[in-house]
Amino acid sequence: MKNADAVLQLRNVTKKIGKRTIVDQVSFDVPAGEVFGFLGPNGAGKTTTIRMIVGLIAMTAGEIYVKGISVNKQFERAMTHIGAIVENPEMYKFLTGYQNLVYFARRHTGVTTERINEVVKLVGLQNRIHEKVKRYSLGMRQRLGVAQALLHRPSVLILDEPTNGLDPAGIRELRDYLRTLARQEGIAVIVSSHLLSEMELMCDRIAIIQAGNLIDVRSMNDLKNRVAHRIIVEVEEPEPTKEVLTAMLPDIAMAVQAGQLEITAGRDRIPELTRALVQAEIDVYGIRTANQSLEDRFLELTRGEQIV
Amino acid sequence: MSNFYRLIQNENMKIVRRPRTWAMVGVLIFALLLLTAILKIDQNPNIQNNNWKQHLTETNQRLQQQIDENSADASPDMKLKLEGEINKNLYYMEHNVNPYEVTIWSVVNGSSSLMVLITLLTVIVAADMLAAEYSWGTIKLLLVGPASRTKILLSKYISTLLFTLFLLVLNFVVSFALGGILEGFGEISRPALTIGAGGAVEEGSMLVAILQNYGFKTIELIMYVTMSFMISATFRSSSMAIAFSLLFMLIGNTLVNILSKFEWVKYLLFANVNLSQYANGTPVRPDMTMLFSVCVLLVYFVVFHLISWVVFTKRDVAG
Ligand SMILES: Nc1ncnc2c1ncn2[C@@H]1O[C@H](COP(=O)(O)OP(=O)(O)OP(=O)(O)O)[C@@H](O)[C@H]1O
Ligand SMILES: [Mg+2]
Repeated sequence: MKNADAVLQLRNVTKKIGKRTIVDQVSFDVPAGEVFGFLGPNGAGKTTTIRMIVGLIAMTAGEIYVKGISVNKQFERAMTHIGAIVENPEMYKFLTGYQNLVYFARRHTGVTTERINEVVKLVGLQNRIHEKVKRYSLGMRQRLGVAQALLHRPSVLILDEPTNGLDPAGIRELRDYLRTLARQEGIAVIVSSHLLSEMELMCDRIAIIQAGNLIDVRSMNDLKNRVAHRIIVEVEEPEPTKEVLTAMLPDIAMAVQAGQLEITAGRDRIPELTRALVQAEIDVYGIRTANQSLEDRFLELTRGEQIV
Repeated sequence: MSNFYRLIQNENMKIVRRPRTWAMVGVLIFALLLLTAILKIDQNPNIQNNNWKQHLTETNQRLQQQIDENSADASPDMKLKLEGEINKNLYYMEHNVNPYEVTIWSVVNGSSSLMVLITLLTVIVAADMLAAEYSWGTIKLLLVGPASRTKILLSKYISTLLFTLFLLVLNFVVSFALGGILEGFGEISRPALTIGAGGAVEEGSMLVAILQNYGFKTIELIMYVTMSFMISATFRSSSMAIAFSLLFMLIGNTLVNILSKFEWVKYLLFANVNLSQYANGTPVRPDMTMLFSVCVLLVYFVVFHLISWVVFTKRDVAG
């Protein structure tokens, strides 16, 4: 079952608390050098899954491997390859940023002073690093959190909502930085978010999780290509038209919205549609298409579900 | 994989870099100064350098009278004790040692009464050891590292003990220095007098006597610190850890005295924490021995650690 290319593998990872299943048999692989997005609405189970990967909570069932090392069986060895921020990066407020990094560096072998300074520069904190963390803003703490996660050059970097609290420039920097890390150092980066727009610019692949179930894993390119078109047909009486058309083309989804007939289908179905409309002798005043955004696609995938 | 020594270093860093720790050290030093001042002020003004021998002679006469008057109904134990006192006073006069004089040793000996304060301070530190990581939210980053939870727990406990040791040494050294500076180091060779089996006076080392006293109280301290640490690890609440440890420490003795007629009292922690009850005093219950108490304490010690370990290593850290 082990996949040699994947630095992070989840196999049927399940978490039950009491009778509730919070994460249900989630499996995916992340290869080295990939930025992997973990997308889902509030309460979907993103943080829970991440907590299981880093060993903060025990799995009810399943296995997680980091570079082929089982998190369950060889926790210490597996953790040497992981850098993480879980939700807000809380640091020791009575220590300076630098002292915090020295503290975190001590847990690993081979983190030199040069490496600490290098990471400080990387996250752009060099001017404030000798200040007490209690005087840091949220964004600065977030940066310190990223610095802490990178100190020991991990193979897998896990960031739970890393853009939370960052300013637009900071988000952009982080995004570019994560991409560079993945490309140049071959680190697998796992990022969670509920904003698809953020993921769009940063990730190679995304997994969509909903109510504890992994409902889709696909590459960003694939997701963009497969985007369905919204075809808007202007007719006098949309309701009866919809019924007639549905009878003729039962595999195409149609709806009446704002007095217009909306059809969701690939571009290649448009000629077929026109022929059907002519055959049914319906007066058509116009047919146009509107691109569905990724955001819509995401909402569509997770549609109608209440937060659990 | 984490180096265990550096985990302890990290825990020490968190204690040392907290301003609170230095406030504690300040409180302890202040208490020592206060204690020394009280010892000085409290010197009996009626006993001067020239009349202390007379005072001792009078005391001995009174003691002798007591023995004679009660010879019929006094227990032989009582008689032996009084005779011992008389012998001790005779020894003082023979060797020209003024027992009322405040010396370096009176200050150092007095410092052992600050063990209650040290226990209080270390119980507070132990109570925060895990609970604070939860309340600061730093527990997540602490656990997401290449160190098993067992190692983290152990490093925290060891670090707590190191802090305890630091306060003990500080207490001893500062009281020694204070005593020496104020009273001079001249009386440093003065022996500790104890009364032997036959009522005879025995000379001992003052240092050994004081260290023995420290030792007994340190055992008590370690038990309360371990208890506080266990509550902190189990319930993630430092106030609860402090409250329970101090409550037991303060009411334990009274409770044991009230309940001493019941046999099961001897299995209570507080009935056993004070091992000096065997060296100089009477045990809570006649059927208790030093060995018995040591065993009971060991059982409590192991159980406290077992509870901390099971709860801490198995707990899901969420929220
Ligand atoms: N300790 C717990 N006990 C019971 N239920 C829990 C516990 N922790 C989390 N949950 C539930 O598990 C579900 C998933 O929570 P999780 O924090 O993983 O969501 P998330 O995807 O990270 O959401 P968000 O986007 O809001 O951060 C939620 O319904 C939550 O209520
Ligand atoms: Mg979350």
